[in-house]
Amino acid sequence: MSDFLQKIKLKIAAILYPACKEAVLLFLTSVLVAIVFNVLRPAGIPLPGFSPAKTINVQQTKIPEITLEEAHKLYCKNKVVFVDARDPFSFEEGHIAGAINIYPDEITLHLAKLKQMLSPGSLVVTYCDGPRCPLSHETAKGLKLQGVPAVKVLIDGWGLWQKAGYPVAEGNK
Amino acid sequence: MNHHKFFARIVPITALICRLVLGILFFYAGVEKIISPREFAFAIYNYQLLPDGAINLPAVVLPWLEVFLAAALVFGIYVRGASLASALLFLIFAAALSINLVRGLDISCGCFGGASGNINWFYLVRDMSLFAVSIFILFFNRGWSYCAGSSG
Repeated sequence: MSDFLQKIKLKIAAILYPACKEAVLLFLTSVLVAIVFNVLRPAGIPLPGFSPAKTINVQQTKIPEITLEEAHKLYCKNKVVFVDARDPFSFEEGHIAGAINIYPDEITLHLAKLKQMLSPGSLVVTYCDGPRCPLSHETAKGLKLQGVPAVKVLIDGWGLWQKAGYPVAEGNK
Repeated sequence: MNHHKFFARIVPITALICRLVLGILFFYAGVEKIISPREFAFAIYNYQLLPDGAINLPAVVLPWLEVFLAAALVFGIYVRGASLASALLFLIFAAALSINLVRGLDISCGCFGGASGNINWFYLVRDMSLFAVSIFILFFNRGWSYCAGSSG
């Protein structure tokens, strides 16, 4: 009986010993790749720090709104970047000319492109369709969390902009 | 056919299927978290188990560990190491889940990125099942050779 137990113990050790070595190797490789990737990517986060207060503040803060007239004035002066928070299909059907499409879930994917479009002092205005649409607020909060300084929401932006006859575009441009 | 032969045939094939399923799960979970590290960091923060300064590091490393485990399990490289690491991960997840279920916190699981469902006892059962699957792979995986019906 003790021989049998000894055999089982040896078998388990023969499996676990190489498994531990491989697991450590896999762990170290992922740590290395993760840190390098985080440093290189634009949406990387600081490794030693986490600021829950900041995150919660942004989540609870009400994003300021902007009126259609104000937004249009800034648009004419080239001092605004419109962010269309609707889904990509609606965006392709029609959007404010010059807008970039950022659905709330896809902020990190498009952040680098948005930052390239921003010039010093320019404002980011998010919009979606309908007075109760929550997407523009969600994208605006996400952008704030990612460190975009000046963000406002144009409520019912797409509907109002179209009715006013201001410039629109179709497709992915 | 006696029982021994039957199990000798069925067990490695089951281990192979488990390996692939676990690999795909890990890949999906890892990629979702890599896409939005901030949301995942917030999910970890909500568990209230780590000090603030130690939250971002696991939020960055864990998703990549999951992706590497997925690759190892699917492609059959370091399978023993990957299944052992995955078993340990599921144990850690189970501990974190249990503590917060007992505390009664209503927080997002964070299992598949920041926008996962809120924790409940089902998540713990799922977690422990996946732990069992990892242990099964650790001891019974015989690689792809069993696909061809050979004895490995």
